[in-house]
Amino acid sequence: MRSRTPCLRPPLIASWLIGLFTSGAHEDAISGDLLEEFSDLASKSGLPYARRWYWRQSIKTVGNLMGTGLRTAPWLIASTVIGGYLMLQLALGFALPELLIDAVIELRWHHVVPYYTQREMDAYMFWFGTAVMIGYLLVPLFVGCIVATVAKAREMIATVTLSVFLFARTVVAWFNLARHRPELPQLPIMALVGILLVLIGGVMVREVRRVARGRRSNLAAP
Amino acid sequence: MTTVHLFYIVYEMLKRDYLGEFEHIVLLAVLRLSKEAYGVTVRREIEAWTGHGVSIGAVYATLDRPEGKGYVQSHAGYPTPERGGRSKRFFNITSKGATGVNRTQRALQSMIKGLDFVARQP
Repeated sequence: MRSRTPCLRPPLIASWLIGLFTSGAHEDAISGDLLEEFSDLASKSGLPYARRWYWRQSIKTVGNLMGTGLRTAPWLIASTVIGGYLMLQLALGFALPELLIDAVIELRWHHVVPYYTQREMDAYMFWFGTAVMIGYLLVPLFVGCIVATVAKAREMIATVTLSVFLFARTVVAWFNLARHRPELPQLPIMALVGILLVLIGGVMVREVRRVARGRRSNLAAP
Repeated sequence: MTTVHLFYIVYEMLKRDYLGEFEHIVLLAVLRLSKEAYGVTVRREIEAWTGHGVSIGAVYATLDRPEGKGYVQSHAGYPTPERGGRSKRFFNITSKGATGVNRTQRALQSMIKGLDFVARQP
């Protein structure tokens, strides 16, 4: 009779998280060390305990790596965060997505009256509004990508720092508004989605670089 | 010991770049393990001797600074199947690092001299 051994795989999301924050020579070493201890714990104390341990270690490790990144390159992180914040303020303050979409429509259909009937006008306004909203969502994604690209190997440290700063600013602004107005204002959903998109931008750049590095090392291997 | 002496010791400590508390512990663990010092063993060694849990990330984050100062050297080992094909990173203390550990140790011992810990404990 064949004995069935449980699949000793660490939590995928935790492993992915570790991969996002480690860089260079330590990437393989940290992931390998965690996997070695995870396998050891799983065989001694059981898989659920090992999985909980792995999650705890991953979160602590991410915190440690964030701290190291901020300590070793404070000026790079500070400049990318300030640059990203200014880019966001400029793009959203000058309503850049709206201006761009308007300019494209003008360029493409400058000789055509955009609507004739009420229905056509409604459709035009709907699509224009949707395009502007998508434009406003693309701005933080784009800024996240730029910040991550400039931060080199510290993509996630820079984008997480920018996101934390933006989140703190949004929360303070929301509380101030709530204090000075009798009715509680709605949660700034768009601002929170924007912050999430800054992070997604960082993750995208990080993953693209990781894939490129993997391909390069595969090509270099004999 | 007068205040002037205390300021002098602090000044000397800053000038000579002494190790931090956890840095000191990690480097001592690396010294104890000799050629077998990598993330897992260093973490276990600290846990065994201090009784405090340490994360792998803390070990690597702490070794980052001494490595930059030339106190520690690291090299990659061979990839092994139990680590999912990932290699270990072995650490070893350089002679400069050993001098740094000794210096911090001596400074701590001279600071402790004359202090009555038993009498001060609540």
